[in-house]
Amino acid sequence: MRMRSLWAIPAAAVLAATVLVTAPAAPRAQETTENPFTTTLDIRMGQRLYQQQCTRCHGQTGDGGELGPALTNGFTSASTDAGLFRIVREGIPNTQMIGISRNATDQSVWMVVSYLNSLNSTPAVDLPGDVAAGRMVFEGKGNCSSCHMVGGEGGRRGPDLTRVGDRRDPDELVSDLRTPDEDLAPRWWTLRVTREDGSVVEGLRMSEDTFTMRIMDENEDLWSFSKSGVRSYERVTSSIMPSVNALLTEDEVEDLVAYLYSLRREET
Amino acid sequence: MKRLAIVLATALVAAPAAAQESGSGDGPSFSPVTWERLLNAADEPENWLMYSATLDAQRYSRLDQIHNRNVGELELKWAYQIPQLDRAETVPLVVDGVMFITEAPSNVVAVDAATGRQYWRYDHPLPDDLRICCGRNNRGVAILGETLFMSTLDAHLVAIDARTGNLVWDRETADHQAGYSKTAAPLVVKDQVVTGIAGGEYGIRGFIDSYDAASGEQVWRAWTIPGPDHPDNQTWAGDSWRTGGSASWITGAYDPDLDIVYWGTGNPGPDWNGDVRLGDNLYSDSAMALNGTTGQLEWYFQFTPHDVHDWDAIQVPILADLTMDGEERKVMMWANRNAFFYTIDRETGEFLLGKPYAKQTWAVGLDSNGRPIRVPNTAPTPEGTLVSPPVGGGTNWFSPAFSPRTELFYVQAYDGEDIFYKRDEEYVEGDQFTGGGAQRPLPADNYYSAIRAIDPRTGDVRWEYPIQPRSTAGVTATAGDLVFSGSVDGYFYALDAVSGEELWHMNVGRRVHSAAITYAVDGQQYVTIAAGNVVFTFGLRD
Repeated sequence: MRMRSLWAIPAAAVLAATVLVTAPAAPRAQETTENPFTTTLDIRMGQRLYQQQCTRCHGQTGDGGELGPALTNGFTSASTDAGLFRIVREGIPNTQMIGISRNATDQSVWMVVSYLNSLNSTPAVDLPGDVAAGRMVFEGKGNCSSCHMVGGEGGRRGPDLTRVGDRRDPDELVSDLRTPDEDLAPRWWTLRVTREDGSVVEGLRMSEDTFTMRIMDENEDLWSFSKSGVRSYERVTSSIMPSVNALLTEDEVEDLVAYLYSLRREET
Repeated sequence: MKRLAIVLATALVAAPAAAQESGSGDGPSFSPVTWERLLNAADEPENWLMYSATLDAQRYSRLDQIHNRNVGELELKWAYQIPQLDRAETVPLVVDGVMFITEAPSNVVAVDAATGRQYWRYDHPLPDDLRICCGRNNRGVAILGETLFMSTLDAHLVAIDARTGNLVWDRETADHQAGYSKTAAPLVVKDQVVTGIAGGEYGIRGFIDSYDAASGEQVWRAWTIPGPDHPDNQTWAGDSWRTGGSASWITGAYDPDLDIVYWGTGNPGPDWNGDVRLGDNLYSDSAMALNGTTGQLEWYFQFTPHDVHDWDAIQVPILADLTMDGEERKVMMWANRNAFFYTIDRETGEFLLGKPYAKQTWAVGLDSNGRPIRVPNTAPTPEGTLVSPPVGGGTNWFSPAFSPRTELFYVQAYDGEDIFYKRDEEYVEGDQFTGGGAQRPLPADNYYSAIRAIDPRTGDVRWEYPIQPRSTAGVTATAGDLVFSGSVDGYFYALDAVSGEELWHMNVGRRVHSAAITYAVDGQQYVTIAAGNVVFTFGLRD
């Protein structure tokens, strides 16, 4: 069960994606090795080994667990298939990430790499919408860029969408646009804070812990509060983004999806 | 008391400033820890002599210099950075001003407990083909005389000279290539070292061992899965007992009057596919009561028969004498990973009461013997089954505490859920053997964690203090009516043991996976916690 949202892509994931395209110019020889096992069957075989060896820490579907990070938002410690192979095979020294079973063959490890890649890619498909028109909707009628950045330009009150097409397929994008409250990641909840003097400050929940919380208000100002220093606070778990249903036509939604889906690594 | 000349000489030549800094200039640190000292550990609260403070494992200190009215004055005294990135689960020991800290993967360092500065370190050599499910962890050492005892990830038990860090003996307890490993602090019982084993995700056959402290020779082994010569072996279908897990990867407790060792056992294997091991799977997910001299099984209590959710009974048993319904009872208290709290008669194993302390959806309740009455269709499936508690449980291995002043049991509780999956899996020696998996359906922030104070006479929750989900820190209680614990978001904090009110907190920067200890040097009380890979020590303002 995958429950991630377009509006749920954390900054760290974007950083991870950045790492993917800013790999060192001169990788080690091993990093140039190509994965020989990338068929659909290889991916399924890799998934099987993943489920046996990796789910304890990284979760059944790669969405992360209590012991290990999610593997569905890019990789922070490898930039190539060969780098992934090495980590799966040997682990990451001086950390809790240990290598896969010694009994696993190299072929099996490559299959795991293929499976991990499958968690971080969406198929290249032709969509009915028009990318250029979708961009105009994004920057114009849709008013999307007032909250979302693409390529370093845009607002700050929503997830950076620079490479959203790498991790959200068209159906998911449609769902994100039409029902933004569904599966909203906690990062995009709203905290409504009532201070001791009765005044209210409200903003996106950038982070919250046991004793403190930090928000960004509608002016993109940053606030930090001690929970014991305010009268009360309230979580609002719905999205500040309106549904496009009442705003855009069917064709405009198709165009917008085509544009968002085009925001992929190879086309940036 | 034996005083080693080299230590004395060091103290004598120490510069006045240094002596003042360490606060121990009046004499040398460290004297041998006899069995009598361990028996009466509660009477010397200036030391922390074993993993759970005392043999009854209450994780309670009689120190009260830091109390519920001045705890707000705590300040950092020193920090010790462990030179490994792994999370620290260590619970240090303190003996007469010397602190022994274990580090990942299987190392130990001795420092001055007043300054955090190092005396010596021991680095255990490890093979590069370890089989460990859940990180390179070590939770602490035990001590007897002048010798420390430590579990290692390659399933060895080592004895280390407490004054120098020199290796005294090194005993292989099982084959690490077959999936065995060791992470928990041992427990000294008389002249023996009792120790468990990890590897429940690798199809091992679990056991609890006792070794002669002087020689390292094995004294007894209690299998946590009985062999075919025992009738309880019939609770495992076919040959499934050979790979049934039932590890013992946490530290137990001991009652010297009854000469009984109490120890928890882990999940049956494979974790999530019970089809291949039909039956109750004794003695997995159980409390085992073992004769402290022979290791013979006195009684057992199985919390989760035929577990298919990985709900190990790997919790520290807490022993206390309570008046229940007008009768003095020797009890054992246990907040289990399956989300039920139990009070059990520790002489007989009789179930006295049990009640949920965290969210659970798998059992209608417990019957009169404490056996769960299961809700149908809660077992894992290939498509996934949503169940509470999650795989990590209502709580897990991190220590609870009990205060004899409040007579409350304090536990880190989590109201969560997971989708549990089942799949077919062949056993291959040395490979993980789990038969499925689990996945949290929503981000952790959608769930709820709290420190809960439970009345062991009723199982009722008296108070709770909410914290960010999901913490993996232990709990420590003191005579200052304080409860110390840590959080997932990197706080170390103190609550009022009576009311649950938060009294003090400190941002220690990274997740706390450990439990606090408290001790005193030269009349000053300290509190120590490991967070991330740093050991922090706090004391009142000078």
